[in-house]
Amino acid sequence: MLPKPHRRGGPAAVASLAAAALLLSACGGGGEDDNALHILVVKHALTGPMADMGWVADIEEAAGIPVEWEEVSADWDQKKSTMLAAGDIPDLVIGANAVTDADMVTFTGLFEDLSDDMDALPNVQAMFDARPETELMATRPDGEVFSIPSYRRFWPQTSTRQYINQQWLDNLGLEQPTTWDELHEVLLAFKTEDANGNGDPDDEIPIDWSPAGESGFGYFQPSVFLGSLGLPITNGGGSGYFVEDGTVGNFLTDPRYKEVVSFLHDLYADGLVSADVMTQDYSAYQSVGRGDGDTAKVGFSWGWTASDRFGPQIADQYAPIAPLAADASTTDVAWTYDSYSLNYGLNTITMSAQSTKKDAALKVIDAFYGQDLSLQALWGEFGQNIEDGGNGVYTVLPPADETLDPSSWKWTTTLADNSPGWIRDDIEVTLPTDIQEAVEDEAPFADALAAIDPATDIWPGELIKMNAEDSSRLSLLHTDILGPAMQRWATWITEGGVDAEWDDYVAELEGLGLTEAVEIHQRYYDEYLAAQG
Amino acid sequence: MQRLPDKQSPFASLRRDTPGDLVFKALLALCCVLVLLLTLYPIYFVVIASVSSPDLVSTGQVWLFPRDLSWFGYEQILADDRIWNGYRNTLLYAVAGTALNLLVTMPAAFTLSRREFRPRRVLMFFFAFTMFFSGGLIPMYLLLRDLNLLDNWLVFILPSAVNVFNLIIARSFFEHSLPEELHEAASIDGANYFQFFLKIALPLSMPILSVIGLYYLVQHWNDFFTGLVFVRDYSLQPLQIVLRDILISNQAFSGGAGGAGGAGAGSYAQQYADQIKYGVIVVSTLPVIVLYPFLQRYFEKGVMIGAVKG
Amino acid sequence: MTSAATARTAGGLAPRRAPGPVHRLKRHFRRYWQLWVMVAPAVAFVAVFAYVPMYGLQLAFREFDFAAGITGGDWVGLKYFQQFFDSPQFWTLLRNTVVISVSTLAAGFIAPIALALMVNQVLGRRRKKFLQTATYLPHFISIVVIVGMLQVFLSPTSGLITRVAGLFGVDDANFLGSASAFVPVYVLSEVWQHAGWNSIIYLAALSSVDPQLYEAAKIDGAGRFSIIRHVDVPALVPTMIVLLILNMGNVLNTGFEKIFLMQNPLNLGVSEVIATYVYKIGILSNQFSYATAIGLFNTLINFAFLVVANQIAKRVSNTSLW
Repeated sequence: MLPKPHRRGGPAAVASLAAAALLLSACGGGGEDDNALHILVVKHALTGPMADMGWVADIEEAAGIPVEWEEVSADWDQKKSTMLAAGDIPDLVIGANAVTDADMVTFTGLFEDLSDDMDALPNVQAMFDARPETELMATRPDGEVFSIPSYRRFWPQTSTRQYINQQWLDNLGLEQPTTWDELHEVLLAFKTEDANGNGDPDDEIPIDWSPAGESGFGYFQPSVFLGSLGLPITNGGGSGYFVEDGTVGNFLTDPRYKEVVSFLHDLYADGLVSADVMTQDYSAYQSVGRGDGDTAKVGFSWGWTASDRFGPQIADQYAPIAPLAADASTTDVAWTYDSYSLNYGLNTITMSAQSTKKDAALKVIDAFYGQDLSLQALWGEFGQNIEDGGNGVYTVLPPADETLDPSSWKWTTTLADNSPGWIRDDIEVTLPTDIQEAVEDEAPFADALAAIDPATDIWPGELIKMNAEDSSRLSLLHTDILGPAMQRWATWITEGGVDAEWDDYVAELEGLGLTEAVEIHQRYYDEYLAAQG
Repeated sequence: MQRLPDKQSPFASLRRDTPGDLVFKALLALCCVLVLLLTLYPIYFVVIASVSSPDLVSTGQVWLFPRDLSWFGYEQILADDRIWNGYRNTLLYAVAGTALNLLVTMPAAFTLSRREFRPRRVLMFFFAFTMFFSGGLIPMYLLLRDLNLLDNWLVFILPSAVNVFNLIIARSFFEHSLPEELHEAASIDGANYFQFFLKIALPLSMPILSVIGLYYLVQHWNDFFTGLVFVRDYSLQPLQIVLRDILISNQAFSGGAGGAGGAGAGSYAQQYADQIKYGVIVVSTLPVIVLYPFLQRYFEKGVMIGAVKG
Repeated sequence: MTSAATARTAGGLAPRRAPGPVHRLKRHFRRYWQLWVMVAPAVAFVAVFAYVPMYGLQLAFREFDFAAGITGGDWVGLKYFQQFFDSPQFWTLLRNTVVISVSTLAAGFIAPIALALMVNQVLGRRRKKFLQTATYLPHFISIVVIVGMLQVFLSPTSGLITRVAGLFGVDDANFLGSASAFVPVYVLSEVWQHAGWNSIIYLAALSSVDPQLYEAAKIDGAGRFSIIRHVDVPALVPTMIVLLILNMGNVLNTGFEKIFLMQNPLNLGVSEVIATYVYKIGILSNQFSYATAIGLFNTLINFAFLVVANQIAKRVSNTSLW
């Protein structure tokens, strides 16, 4: 570009030399040429370094070669899409759903098919035999196995428990509600009277729930009221799919959903719902629930456990209460069934197809599914976190750090729910108090949950694997459908209008492809049923 | 004999205020106070929120003074070893990066400002085009991999060597603030472009040099995307990534409702997430604020030179 | 760039008398080689880091096929553009995007100018410096924190601003949850955050105003407002025009992260913009081709606006980018 060589160097000349040097050095190229096994771990943000976990040494020993850990605890989605699209992944990727079903159909050929390596994975094969649903979760429609799930066994069947402030009820001489109408009356009493007894009749929030996003329903949201009308949902509702008598439906256009929305609007119109309910973030929702010192602020809400939802100080004011019936004539009350997402971890370990250390990688995978390592990866190392009593009897120890609750302790010291592993059904484990509390608080829901047969009454999203075309079509349809649907959910509850706008709304969602989306689900569900025999 | 008029106050030589002046001054003072209040209060809020009980903050009970004083957030942030390494990295990237930025941008802006240089229009288009069209992340990732820049500290410096926006600003400054007569006079004295640029144009452009320098510096200071996508070696990560990790690790439970991973996760982190959020903003902003007075001194010196020579 | 190649082939044939292209080129380089040297590093960096990856744009016209590589997927032409135009969301997205960006651009353009003119009037270096530093502070606050602050200040139950609005008779205002409040809240918070920072460039321009101009104006008996109008404002015009042109190239650009974080089901009707949609489609659903196509559409519209604005500015004020 330059007509003659320049002798004198100015800043510009220096910079252009630097640029030229850069371009020359560009020809280097190269990649990983070391002999270590590279494992990327998607950790929970609280989780400490892998080097601090005692059980990691056992994994490294199983590998037989040095292991290089790459630890990601934030923004995995953003990192991942570039990394995968560039085909640049380490030998193994670990983490609950770190590599999703959608990734597997998009990045074909990037992941190792483990279905023909089962001889090298005896522990995994044993889990598949003992818990056949784990094999279903792992197997693609064409029979490949790109990723292995985990099984945690002891978690409860639902994540959403319903709580009422028993102390407030007692203060006002009220009974626990069993129907929507009774709830409405109780909440009115909470509002108009000084239920928490602090002298201010106006500081009570009768009912509050976790903010629903723009992409569907989740835990701790009033979508569980669909159960009051006998409609069982999974994972708090998700995109709305449910199964009834072998037919897949979507509750977003179901008349029972309309009833729930109008009931919630009645509550809202009476000023019983927190004014922040649609706009607060989860952290504000939790803070408000914790009240002010010993004074509770919230009367009725949903959460994981009372102490998680309301904080240790006022947790004992709250009692879990059974699912409500819409009215006295309702008999088949249902609830949200979440066991497939609580007791199982989808796609917890995935192997690169380009790995040059296949043997070591397979050994590591299988090691994670050993009896002792499964426990340690989930709750922490023997000695510090778990006491190994021998003969398959284990006790999960209370936190060594007294300032932490058992749950935070677990997340801090080990991979916890992000880890691959298989908790055997024939061992005996004394659970940590957080899981104990969750299981105990589940008692009022036992009947409703027992009435749900996971094989026929719910949409088993975790067990169904879709092909590339359908999964990509559905993700587009859902992006288009859920926006308007969630917007309507929020406005109808706060401003009303569900009766007048319902028919147009149903037509709109169908126009956006809801019918097609339900049909795709139905097709897969039929295949799933057929495969079940 | 003749004192240079004080550049900071165009009206310094006005001895007496007319009634109009008084009204003007009152209005000005009012506006300034209002603007200050509007900008400073929320900042003040961040500071008191960073040392107050998080529950009181999120329920709107902290307004004027910190309540339930707690240094937990800062303890958490500063106890993290990674943060010091992050500071060091960021400082290196910001200083080296800004130096390269100015070295590349200022001469280019000068060239592009020369009206007699015909190719400048084509070149401007060549630059401006890239403000809009980019190939996307994946090709960029592949390119950086081929250049061996992944997991290499130069990735924080080289790809961002030219910011076209800053280039245009600098060019426009040269165009409008360098009188043509200066160049003519310099050419008559036998100065070539290099000499003219180094000895005359550059000294006259201290205000823009410091503004552009500040822009670049802050761009490097706040850059977390590069580290996020192109760097996997944690020892190279800049402050922003470290702080973001601390932030996220304490907010992790906020998204708890989203998946099995978060359900039931403890109350400890939940409670302090917000305090750490506000602490992080204080920690990450402080150095740039401290740095500014130094830059501004430079800035004012530049202005004075401009006043003398212009 | 291509002229060098032309020059080589035409070399021996150039007639001596009329100055041929080679001759002109030689003369050009002899005269301007130093300018070329000064611009070369910038050209090199931009060529490598901006132009080389641009092949990725093909993805908008191809099926993303991981196994075949970025440029190896089947050519599908305008399929993904068509898909976007036919999408039920298209007009809503376009409208929301334009409304948000144009109001942000307008307010974000005027505020820094007003602020710079005001700061410039303040007497005393210390006061001025303090004011200037104070007003650009918010620029450094990260988006996550800004949105968190908005939530605290605007909460319908406890927010300070909500309570102040209550004093003025606006009861039960829900600034976060109402669709009509979304754009004002977004725009005002943008102005609050960036006006001070963006005024730096104008203050730099004001600082290079020739002091004699003020003297002359005073001698002419001009009042303060008149001096601002006739001396200060004209000094800002070139910068204003350049920034205005650049802003025109942003009509379809909106801050992604902030809008994304501010979204809730109540305001989704006005807050879903092209950038957030692309994120939901591209990152969350792995639709790389579709996301690239939407991004490219966005870019083309922006670029068209930039080109038009540039032409107009060239005609009207003789200032232009190229």
